Amino acid sequence: MSNVTVTVNGKSHTVDVAPETLLVELIREKLRLTGTHVGCDTSQCGACVVHVDGVAVKSCTMLAMTADGASVTTIEGLANGSALHPMQEAFREHHGLQCGFCTPGMIMSAVDIVNRKGSDLDEHTIRDELEGNICRCTGYHNIVKAVAAGAKAMKGGAKPARAAE
Amino acid sequence: MSATGIGAAVRRKEDQRFITGTGNYTSDISRPGELRAYFVRSPHAHATIKKVDTKAAEKMPGVAAVLTGADLANDKIGGLICGWAITSKDGTPMKMGAHPAIAADKVRCVGDAVAVVLAETLRQARDAAEAVEVDYGVLPSVVDPAKAAAKGAPQIHDVAPNNMIYDWHLGDKAATDAAFASAKHVTKLDIINNRLVPNAMEPRAAIAEYDQGNDALTLWNTSQNPHVARLVISAFVGMAPEHKLRVIAPDVGGGFGSKIFIYPEEVVALWAARRVKRPVKWVSDRSEAFLTDAHGRDHVTHAELAIDANNKITGLRVHTIANIGAYMSTFSSSVPTYLYATLLSGQYAIPAIYAEVDAVYTNTAPVDAYRGAGRPEATFVVERLVEVAARELGLDPAEFRRKNFVKSFPHQTPVIMTYDAGDYDASLTKAMDLIDYKNFGKRKAESEKHGKLRGIGFSTYIEACGIAPSQAVGSLGAGVGLWESAEVRVNPTGSIEILTGSHSHGQGHETTFAQLVSDRLGVPIETVSVVHGDTDKVQFGMGTYGSRSGAVGMSAIVKALDKIEAKAKKVAGYMMEASGDDIEFKDGKFTVKGTDKSVGWGDVTLNAYIAHKFTGGQLEPGLKEGAFYDPTNFTFPAGCHIAEVEIDPETGKTTIAKWVAVDDFGNIINPMIVEGQVHGGIAQGVGQAMLEGASYNSDGQLVTGSFMDYAMPRAADLPSFKVDTTVTPCPSNPLGIKGCGEAGAIASPAALINAITNAVGHENVPMPATPSTVWKAAQGGMKKAAE
Amino acid sequence: MALEMSGEYDLPQKREIVWKALNDPAMLEKCIPGCETLEKLSDTEFQATVKLSIGPVSARFKGKVKLEDIDAPNGYKIVGEGEGGVAGFAKGQASVALADEGEGCKLTYKAEAATGGKIAQLGQRLISGSAKKTADRFFENFVEALKEYR
Repeated sequence: MSNVTVTVNGKSHTVDVAPETLLVELIREKLRLTGTHVGCDTSQCGACVVHVDGVAVKSCTMLAMTADGASVTTIEGLANGSALHPMQEAFREHHGLQCGFCTPGMIMSAVDIVNRKGSDLDEHTIRDELEGNICRCTGYHNIVKAVAAGAKAMKGGAKPARAAE
Repeated sequence: MSATGIGAAVRRKEDQRFITGTGNYTSDISRPGELRAYFVRSPHAHATIKKVDTKAAEKMPGVAAVLTGADLANDKIGGLICGWAITSKDGTPMKMGAHPAIAADKVRCVGDAVAVVLAETLRQARDAAEAVEVDYGVLPSVVDPAKAAAKGAPQIHDVAPNNMIYDWHLGDKAATDAAFASAKHVTKLDIINNRLVPNAMEPRAAIAEYDQGNDALTLWNTSQNPHVARLVISAFVGMAPEHKLRVIAPDVGGGFGSKIFIYPEEVVALWAARRVKRPVKWVSDRSEAFLTDAHGRDHVTHAELAIDANNKITGLRVHTIANIGAYMSTFSSSVPTYLYATLLSGQYAIPAIYAEVDAVYTNTAPVDAYRGAGRPEATFVVERLVEVAARELGLDPAEFRRKNFVKSFPHQTPVIMTYDAGDYDASLTKAMDLIDYKNFGKRKAESEKHGKLRGIGFSTYIEACGIAPSQAVGSLGAGVGLWESAEVRVNPTGSIEILTGSHSHGQGHETTFAQLVSDRLGVPIETVSVVHGDTDKVQFGMGTYGSRSGAVGMSAIVKALDKIEAKAKKVAGYMMEASGDDIEFKDGKFTVKGTDKSVGWGDVTLNAYIAHKFTGGQLEPGLKEGAFYDPTNFTFPAGCHIAEVEIDPETGKTTIAKWVAVDDFGNIINPMIVEGQVHGGIAQGVGQAMLEGASYNSDGQLVTGSFMDYAMPRAADLPSFKVDTTVTPCPSNPLGIKGCGEAGAIASPAALINAITNAVGHENVPMPATPSTVWKAAQGGMKKAAE
Repeated sequence: MALEMSGEYDLPQKREIVWKALNDPAMLEKCIPGCETLEKLSDTEFQATVKLSIGPVSARFKGKVKLEDIDAPNGYKIVGEGEGGVAGFAKGQASVALADEGEGCKLTYKAEAATGGKIAQLGQRLISGSAKKTADRFFENFVEALKEYR
């Protein structure tokens, strides 16, 4: 066992972990932040995506020890207090989720896409960039809409426009 | 229409917790002192268990116990059962083999549990599982349903000679044969409906806890129907009486049918927790899910359509072999029979239909209901036959369909169902307009200019949902009634809790059910909460599957709300010194008819509880009502999906250029949610048609056992969909709802394969139509054209 | 069985010496990739522990290796079957034939392999590559070790 110090959602934690502990296990089991999900065991589904030093990472592929000294943001840390992040707001507004299980990973990936690709995203780009996130409920139709709207809102710093009804 | 009432696209109430990572799924729950369970599973498809040696494993660090099938049998824990009795042609009952939660004598598929290790941590349990030594006597195995009943095939269950569970039939054979004898044209197809793995994104999980003081058990599980789980685990498995067993299905991350069933791991968790007197938590790996979740589909079918000189369909004949897998899962028997053959009339007036279904055991994971359950298989048969027949006869596939549509209602089919309402012309016409069918030729020519093939395919589907009238399904073999319950609890301050036996695992009931109440009682939607998924809170319920929560679950709420309204009127009457009969209720206000005297909702609810305006002799205090609603008929959602594809014949890559869905779901509570259901259903159907296929090798090993090998639809595999509706209200329930959960998965495979076969110019394109399959088909099609 | 392979090698030693090497547990232990222990139970049966990785699955397989259809010094069939616990099982057999060829001898083999359980489930796409690589490595090791062999 050895000590790992990570800052998660702005709060520093020093945790004793076995060397084989995965980052997702540290987050879910040691810190009890259960918004980050595990949907597979082969790093395909993306339900476990978090940000490590600002970059999207599948937390099931990273050892907790390699996160020593890093700053991690999980879905629980995305909102600013009670004010939702524009991407969270966009997923709700555009019905970009159903069962909610893939949603935390989807939202974290979506924010990362915007960080990398900017806020003017076309459908093709969004669909390609979501390659590492699997959703079984939505058929992605509304996720694509939500990501596009969330991206725009992130640029404007405003809430996404209400979708046409 | 109010902003939060019936018909409004209300944003979902449940989303707040899902988008902030504060949902509560079973695997998120942790009980003090819990042990983690890890199953030792068979790597062989078929083998006797000669010996299970747990000694070394028991001595490993952190191990609390290692339990085997023999321990389970010693404790007299019963096996799992299939709850729908099907009878063979000769009147004999189906042949159900024993299904112990842990195998003791024989394993029948890869993944069959042979032992469970309980340890302080998951890692310790997994390490100790390595040390469990199992001595297997490997037996030959069979995985192909078409070969399972052949002479010399390995015998899987002693009770089922030749692996035959039942050979069942439906319809009038003589009349159907006569229709074929006099047919002008007969279209024949051999169809394999490919085996699918449901793959809800949340893997299954179970946590069991034993309360010694009260001798009571609690199970948290990933269930679509916790009450049915409790009933089966109590009455058939014999774990504990119902009143000593609480089942809680909290947030559930998708089900698609696969979480209806009662699974071995839930039984083992309960049994183990009581044995070791500590909570036991089991969470499935995705790898385990592939091997142990009930799969879907897996039919081998020969189908024929008889057509007369006027291009009218006169008969349909089907023979299907259905793969049930190694054990009969909870509702497995009903899927290829009453959920399948009863829909073979499609949207068409077909005078004679005869279906034969052979259900067989194989050395594969159990097969049971998966989104659509039987109805996608039926739709694929009917819609492929109809499309191919039109092509063979040189008719426009739309017009051939139109000519044969059922046009007056109610319509009695030759296969049990009575269609109550619909307008199939309307959905077809609207879909053709939306996809711009008349200019398809131009688009095809444009594609050809670029060396691409273009095809268009229809699927005018029907399904039977709102499952189901209890007496009717009872007469067909169901072991349970399929009504739904609701309880409306109004609090003194006017806020409302709706307790429902339906279960939401993505469908948005917390929103739609609250919309109904908001609409009906004129109260703000924020004051309504929906409680579900806990057998200690909701008295009983049948759960969510078969697109039944709207048509059946909400109808029960309507019934309970009727009672609430009647009682609240009485309370209001006492408050305003008028007779309850003279009270009108509208928009949350109670008014004495013909006067301006009125009281508000909150006043009435408070008075119902303080009971100062009436005596106990006049009226019971309180405002809480319950109802059970048993439907009078199935509902019949129907519609038209049209797929248009472009294929690169050089690579076999199929691009879905356009997708139009026009569905008739009857009245709609929340169009945003309904559209979402359609999108998701189409995606699963597209997955079946183009990407997904569970494949076992000849040794019975599942070779598509991970997301690396089993092609789940990704965002880039799908287009955006054009979704619209037509409405004929359902006459069989108070809200006129038909149900929307499965339509997309039912309609879409046929539309897509019809489009691909249209593009390549011949019918030999099996599912999944992967690029290699389509490439071969496109090459073959071009060769054929050149001849 | 799920997978079939074959190959041939020109060996720098006389057939009799090659044959002796093929029956020498120390030689087999040295050449079987991942072989950690090989104990002789009888002249034709060995107990082996082999560490094998296929794709994402890595496991220690314990099992027996048997020599069958012995036709000294022309060839035999080597049959192995191992249980890898939670990872599943692996089994395989190879028919090996020797023939004089100039100064040395020619070895030809035909092998079949199959796996089950997790190793088959997760490593399926990689099995043919892994099996071929394992067979090649065995014979490469064997050719190399033969140079010094007497």
